[in-house]
Amino acid sequence: MYLTKDNRMFYALLIAISVQSIGVFALIQMGLIQFQAGEFNWLATILGSFIFGIGIILAGGCATGTWYRAGEGLIGSWIALFGYMGMSAVMKSGALSPVNNSLKGISTPTNSIPATFGLSVWPFIALLALITIFLVVKQLRKPKVFIPSLPPKRKGLNHLLFEKRWHPFVTAILVGLVALLAWPLSEATGRMSGLGITTPSANILQYLVTGDGDKYLNWGVFLVLGIFLGSFIAAKGSREFRFRAPDAKTAVSSFSGGILMGFGASWAGGCSIGNGLVMTAMMTWQGWVSLFFMILGTWAASYFVYVRPRASAKKKAAVYQTTTA
Amino acid sequence: MKQKLAVLGMVCPFPLIEAKEAMESLKSGDELEIDFDCTQATESIPRWAAEAGHKITNFVQLTDASWSITVQKK
Repeated sequence: MYLTKDNRMFYALLIAISVQSIGVFALIQMGLIQFQAGEFNWLATILGSFIFGIGIILAGGCATGTWYRAGEGLIGSWIALFGYMGMSAVMKSGALSPVNNSLKGISTPTNSIPATFGLSVWPFIALLALITIFLVVKQLRKPKVFIPSLPPKRKGLNHLLFEKRWHPFVTAILVGLVALLAWPLSEATGRMSGLGITTPSANILQYLVTGDGDKYLNWGVFLVLGIFLGSFIAAKGSREFRFRAPDAKTAVSSFSGGILMGFGASWAGGCSIGNGLVMTAMMTWQGWVSLFFMILGTWAASYFVYVRPRASAKKKAAVYQTTTA
Repeated sequence: MKQKLAVLGMVCPFPLIEAKEAMESLKSGDELEIDFDCTQATESIPRWAAEAGHKITNFVQLTDASWSITVQKK
């Protein structure tokens, strides 16, 4: 997205946030679920999200992306995942928990954007929905280019599920609905939050190491295992599964990316899902500030990882040509 | 003229970046055959080619999780 300057994925994210936001606040209004925004640890959120963004680029995908790529058989993502789970566990309950808590004191009392202005949440949701609709309509009105695709080899439901590419906006609505469903479903098991990736990922490792299932096995753990399993089935079904091993350089960069993501997400209190999709929908400062700095982090990192090395390689090649000419 | 770009084993988004660069050195009408195995590129390469106005002359899946696409420069 950041490299190709493609805005469609950002619009898709806005759709998913809007769908979820409307749904969750309707459920809250009906008294079906509870939500406390808490306080806003702004310094930890800003720094953590920026570091998380850098990690995304090095690992070649965000936390969720790493889970499903692992399901597609990419060994590099297994390595990134291991670094990510390890580092989050170290931050949350291990040797680095003092570091994790060090910035938590620097906060503003309220995390909720409407509460800051003393308003109801609905005007903010309406504003978000309007902006989203405006951008989506503008995007859909653009003249379409014909994009060639692979010749279909299957028919009916099989083609629809495993072959046809879904429009990102349709997928976004589905993601929004899943994120919305996550609230009542996890609440039913006594877990008072929405979709999350980081804490559950850490929980798996914490459970495996301590054996304390009561404390660490929860709705979220089964959710991330479900992502892994689901992407495996989808990839296998669409003939996109194969074990693919990275070269040494990619492996090292995946591992460090995973570690940075684990570190950043723990500080920021969420990853691209927890903050970028869920906390944004809850209309919290944490969600939107985090989303902004995550994007900034990925921009900064892609400049240093992709743009600059290539520009300097080109320059060298040009110099070489002029000297030999 | 047909040029081959072997980007098998490269992770996304490198196959696309490599393809864009290789394309710059080609002449109009030349073809670039790209063999790749990163799933995202099954969408990103055709999209880039279509938006840049290049023609896709061949696009097939080789085996599980590996594809080949041939793009002709406009």
